[in-house]
Amino acid sequence: MKPAHSLLTITLAFTLTAVIWSCGTKEAPAPEDENELITTVRLTFTEDGTTTPQKFEWKDLDGDGGNAPTTSRITLKASRSYKVDVEFLDESKTPTDNITDEVREEGDEHLVVLTPTPSSLFTYTASDKDSRNFPIGLSGNVATGSINQGSLRLQLRHQPPVNGQPVKNGTVAPGSDDVNITFDVVVAP
Amino acid sequence: MKNSQRVVRLFIVLFFIGLLDFNKVHAQNTADCDCFVKGVVKDRETNLPIVGAVLTIKNTSKVTTTDAEGHYKFDRLCQGSYVLECKIIGYKTTRTSIALQHSAEENLNLSEDEVHLQDVEIVARRVTSLTQPSGSLQNQSLEQTRGQTLAEALQKIVGVTMLQTGAFIAKPVIHGLHSNRILIINNGIRQEGQQWGSEHAPEIDPFIAKRLTVVKGAAGVRYGSDAIGGVILVEPAELPYTTGSIRGELNTVGFTNGRTGVLSGTIEGRLNKWKGFGWRLQGTLKNGGNIRTPDYFLANTGVREQNFSAAAGYRSLKLGAEVFYSQFHTNLGIFSGSHIGSTSDLLNVIQNGEPFIKADFNRAIERPNQLVDHDLLKIKAYWQFSGNRLSLTLGRQHNQRAEYDLHGPQAALKPALLFRITTLTSDVVLEHKPIAKEITGQIGFSGLHQYNFTDGRPLIPDFEQSNAGAFVIERWIKQKWEWEAGLRYDMRWLQVYRFIGQTLDQRNHQFNSWSGTIGSVFNANSHLSVRANFGTGWRPPSVNELYSKGVHHGAAAYEEGNESLRPETAYNLMGNVEYTSERFRAEIGFYHNFIQNFIYLKPQSEPILTIRGAFPYFKYVQTNATFSGADVTSEWNITQRWEHTAKISYLRAYDQADDNYLVAIPANRIENGLRYKIGKVIHSHDSFVSIGHLWVDQQKRVPPNSDFMPPPSAYHLWSIQVGGDIILTEKQKITWGITGQNLFDTAYRDYLNRFRYYSLDQGRNFSVRLKWIF
Repeated sequence: MKPAHSLLTITLAFTLTAVIWSCGTKEAPAPEDENELITTVRLTFTEDGTTTPQKFEWKDLDGDGGNAPTTSRITLKASRSYKVDVEFLDESKTPTDNITDEVREEGDEHLVVLTPTPSSLFTYTASDKDSRNFPIGLSGNVATGSINQGSLRLQLRHQPPVNGQPVKNGTVAPGSDDVNITFDVVVAP
Repeated sequence: MKNSQRVVRLFIVLFFIGLLDFNKVHAQNTADCDCFVKGVVKDRETNLPIVGAVLTIKNTSKVTTTDAEGHYKFDRLCQGSYVLECKIIGYKTTRTSIALQHSAEENLNLSEDEVHLQDVEIVARRVTSLTQPSGSLQNQSLEQTRGQTLAEALQKIVGVTMLQTGAFIAKPVIHGLHSNRILIINNGIRQEGQQWGSEHAPEIDPFIAKRLTVVKGAAGVRYGSDAIGGVILVEPAELPYTTGSIRGELNTVGFTNGRTGVLSGTIEGRLNKWKGFGWRLQGTLKNGGNIRTPDYFLANTGVREQNFSAAAGYRSLKLGAEVFYSQFHTNLGIFSGSHIGSTSDLLNVIQNGEPFIKADFNRAIERPNQLVDHDLLKIKAYWQFSGNRLSLTLGRQHNQRAEYDLHGPQAALKPALLFRITTLTSDVVLEHKPIAKEITGQIGFSGLHQYNFTDGRPLIPDFEQSNAGAFVIERWIKQKWEWEAGLRYDMRWLQVYRFIGQTLDQRNHQFNSWSGTIGSVFNANSHLSVRANFGTGWRPPSVNELYSKGVHHGAAAYEEGNESLRPETAYNLMGNVEYTSERFRAEIGFYHNFIQNFIYLKPQSEPILTIRGAFPYFKYVQTNATFSGADVTSEWNITQRWEHTAKISYLRAYDQADDNYLVAIPANRIENGLRYKIGKVIHSHDSFVSIGHLWVDQQKRVPPNSDFMPPPSAYHLWSIQVGGDIILTEKQKITWGITGQNLFDTAYRDYLNRFRYYSLDQGRNFSVRLKWIF
């Protein structure tokens, strides 16, 4: 072989080795799984002395981005008392995943905060407690004020211990938002 | 604050006293500086003179070689103690202490090394690029960075800064460009991990490196077209093919801040039975806890790292092969206070001025944290024939990154996000023998095949990509001129597998283009050289820029890719002037980098509404951007003992299409260092003490309303360092060093630290380094 010829042969052989190396095998792609998605927040108001629950929902079924979330308007009667239950659902899965129970189980590091604007709209008092006697806020009572309209901000605060020390203190400040949404509220006669 | 000002003042006073003192000593010395030392160097066995042995007087710039009779002489030496070193290939290096009063005669007898001259192969370092400016760290300057992250170490090179997410996650920035625009070549293999994220640091143990080199500017022709910002070379030492018995080193580093401990060892040797076989084992352990700022601890900022590597190789004159395997494993805590659920959380922290979560010192790593593994297998072989050299390099990397979010009642054990990237690379390079004795060069082919799986939260889809490239670089050296030109062609195929609901949606992309470089060096005389380089490179949009979609939890932003992005093209012009004299060296470099279709995240006018609240909405868009600036360095040996170094980096980045500045560009900075060489103190040779000052300006060139808070103010940082060598025996040595960083515990925030919203930067940090060479 001529030197130039052998050079070419060798280079080709090396390249071939390299090409074979580069062709790997791999597994098939699988769909992503957001294992902690909340798509729906449901508020159930039951007026004291009645058994008919009123349900209001905030929904974003395709998660962050994509289609905009839908919100129902909360309508309540003036100067009444309601029992309130808050639920967190993942409706992107079939069957629907109910996250409320897990929030309750980990009550020591979760706090549901309901903030009406203006504050005269209603007052909220949580009725559930965690192991350290701080409210969780998944159920409680609402006492509405006079005829008015405004908004309700609902936050699910995640307040896990830091370096083994609990940080939950019953206030909104520690931790971060897992949920932070706003409903329109009408308090009618 | 007041306290630190007082200390600064005290320092300045001390400094001037030092200067006066030195003047006195200097005046005294001039009279006595006509001592000399001379002698003959001979072979211990044959008693024949050794010609061409290199003699050095340590801590001075004096070097000489023996003449035809083995004679040498140094004159104009000052009175004092010196270490005389004698070196020549094939013999053991000797070090002799001499105390000079007027003159001395030192005749040296050298023992033959176990290697005989005829076996010695002279290995020239392959030049990265003749015409592009580069900087490197090795020996003492690299030693001083031991225990720090790769990006921190590289910051010693002018023009290089870092993008940080807290204390242990840092990635290098060259002339304002980072991540996908910079290539890191780890031991000859392009590092393929998660370059896209600012909170993903390069998965490399810096203890592997014997030398770190940064090639600035578009340097894609040799390593891959996407290196439009520069290339970082992490190079280990040669395997010990020729040197005898087993040897090694043990490094220990302790930092006061974070109470971090680092232990790293290397052991290497050759096989005496089989000539040309060498091996090396290396490992590093690192353990650190919560980092302290001047005012408070940062909760959950610990780190635990375990790395090891093994290498073995065979080398002869004609053939050689090498196998290298390394494993990098780290578990990083992400500062608890930086985890926010919504923009209102972020604004609350900013308003508060300090994190809501306070902690004490703790080593526990809790959620959120990252668990990163990187495996690398490399096989390299070469064949030398009739002046040519053909080499093949194969690499397989597996990168796994698990991110454990703070969130989630459900995912107690499962990471919220898991990336698994496998990359296979191959390079075939032929370095041809010189044409007409003047033109040298290489041609090469490179291939890459990569696939990624993402599990958990949708952010980056699964993808598969292949790359094929071919290049040629030729260099022509003629007297005072050196020319270099290179051309490369690359093709990239990208397949993306997205799930829309449960349905698989496959997208294909193909990109291809040319890159090139041309440059020249003019060595006017032994003092002055001028270089200029023009390079182009291109970078196809990466998967995150095309397809990312989702909330970036730490960044309080909703980021959305754009699948119709086109590749970026860079046109990079650089000029560099270097002046070297016996006691002074200065280098000044200018650059202008025009990037067409520069991809960046642009804030949108409307926020996006999610269940966690409203988030600012960012989209990947393209523009034409320019990055222009200058790097200046100088080293001045004021006297034999005093040395001053200075570095200045200036950078201005501009968005041409939008007629505005670009975000996240490092601020201008000036660094000064003053070193006093003490020489021998008790048993420590080459001892020194140095003080350093870094001034970083406030980044004023930012687009309006581009950030949640204005860029942090300018800051000054002081550091101090002492160190030296303790020679135990002929083969054993201990190198020691004590460093104090952020000496005055200055409270500052850096614009390129993502934690600037939540907390101050790291406070005072003392470190002690001991390296035992055996």
